[in-house]
Amino acid sequence: MQAIFGTRQWEPVGWVFAAMNFIFLSCAMGLGIFLVVESIPILRSEGLGFWLGENWWVGESFGALPMICGSLLVTGLAIFLVLPVALSGALFTSEYLSPSFRRRVKGVMELLAGVPGIIYGLLGVSFLTVGVKDALNLLDGNTLFTAGLLLAIMILPTVLTLSEDALHSVSSEFREAAESLGLTKLQTALRVVIPQSLPGIVGAVLLVIGRAMGETIAVMLVVGSLDRVPGFNLFVSGQTIPSKLGREAAEALGSGLHWNALMGLGLTLFLIVAILTFSGHLFIKRSSQ
Amino acid sequence: MNAITAEKMVLVLIGCITFLIVALLFTILGIMFLNGLPAMHGGFLFEESRDFGRAGGIFYQSMGTLLLMGVAVLWSLPVALGSVLFQTEYLNTGKLKTLLTQLTYILNATPTILFGLVGYLLFGVYLDTGVSWVTGSLILAVMILPTLQVSIREAVEALPEKYREAGMSLGLSRPTQIWRIILPQSLYGIVTGVLLGLARAAGETAAIMFTATTFSGIQLPQSFSDPVPTLQTHILVLAQEAANPESIAQAWGAGLVLLGLVFMLTLAAWAFRTRVVMESEL
Repeated sequence: MQAIFGTRQWEPVGWVFAAMNFIFLSCAMGLGIFLVVESIPILRSEGLGFWLGENWWVGESFGALPMICGSLLVTGLAIFLVLPVALSGALFTSEYLSPSFRRRVKGVMELLAGVPGIIYGLLGVSFLTVGVKDALNLLDGNTLFTAGLLLAIMILPTVLTLSEDALHSVSSEFREAAESLGLTKLQTALRVVIPQSLPGIVGAVLLVIGRAMGETIAVMLVVGSLDRVPGFNLFVSGQTIPSKLGREAAEALGSGLHWNALMGLGLTLFLIVAILTFSGHLFIKRSSQ
Repeated sequence: MNAITAEKMVLVLIGCITFLIVALLFTILGIMFLNGLPAMHGGFLFEESRDFGRAGGIFYQSMGTLLLMGVAVLWSLPVALGSVLFQTEYLNTGKLKTLLTQLTYILNATPTILFGLVGYLLFGVYLDTGVSWVTGSLILAVMILPTLQVSIREAVEALPEKYREAGMSLGLSRPTQIWRIILPQSLYGIVTGVLLGLARAAGETAAIMFTATTFSGIQLPQSFSDPVPTLQTHILVLAQEAANPESIAQAWGAGLVLLGLVFMLTLAAWAFRTRVVMESEL
């Protein structure tokens, strides 16, 4: 114990701080424990079939595959759309902009990242669904594609600012050495700065994927909320894990297995996000060493 | 085409992309103003909503949002402050600290809907408190805890080691050192954390939509077990009536107010941080 807490005597205030830390710990652990305990019944009754089942019929079977596929497709599409744009922006901001302009861009990104999800939802409902429907001649604008597009816009500022941090943290010695060898600025950026900061960028992207996976409100409003395994067709209505939770939790509380099934979905989401976040921070830590 | 022209073209391309990304903020602001301002008639901020949100104002919705975020910070601040001071001032080992930091990160990344679900279960079933603003503020308090912790921790850890050493050499006890040196010197981190936490709580919908809010019928809560209407859930309900132009118009108005609130809090946090950074560079 001495090794952990030191040899100095604790004052009463120390115990208060310890209690506060205990509250924090129990909130964080409690969340995980609740999710696990509450999803045990559904895992017991459906087994692995919970994750592989294609049908979610309340009262008969609970298969999470449509939601899992939907989440992966929507998030995958968002990352695919956002990466080239955000990385170009990050490269330009980090390597070409003067410090004062760089600060301004970062400030704008910080503001944009703070725009509430419900505002994006409102924008999506009013413009994006109609735009997608007209542009692609669909019957319904509420599709997985719409959700992915909206999500891409939402995560853009975070991807940009985190990957810019990674690029900017590359020591200027590397840049000077490269330029003294006669490399142009772009060559330096592509062949020296980006490879050097790659772990940081990968970490940033993992963190953002985690964030995107859990986005509820905006996605729920435009995804169409239809439980079906979408295959690889993005232009149909679908469902993601959080949108399913948002749509059904209110009616399922206290109704036995239906509620447990939703908690099982929640646990699945929590585990995916926790792994992404943990590995993201691992990458970022490695890059900063 | 030689290498120099190619490089210039790439430069122009990524410059344009950056410009467009920055323009995104102004596009969103523009859309919000264009659609939100028509709803802002004289008493929009000070009237109650009528006719299922299709007419009237958003007074009680705004009050609900302010109440939830304010009380959430009241719950969250002592826990954040206490746990960070415990981790920085009382814990000696790195391993436990790393573990607790990881926990903060994971809590920070946890999808907000899960806070809503677990809160719904804990308060709605096990504690049977029903839908209430206290429940909502407690859930938001847990949700913004990592935001506050990260800000406070950054400020405390940025203190120069010589401050602590000076305190020790004066023979200050640990509580005195915390009260006289660490807290005053890291005050900016605490304020920044509080403002960012408020902004995060103000924009949150998924965590409170089952547990704390109601669409209409309630004005100001009369007891601890009453729900409140909030801007976020008001917009959520109205946005789903996309076919009804009056509802959507009111939703834009409420959205503009909410966005204004969040931006003001973020800008305040930001102004505070830069001012302090500038002072410390003197």
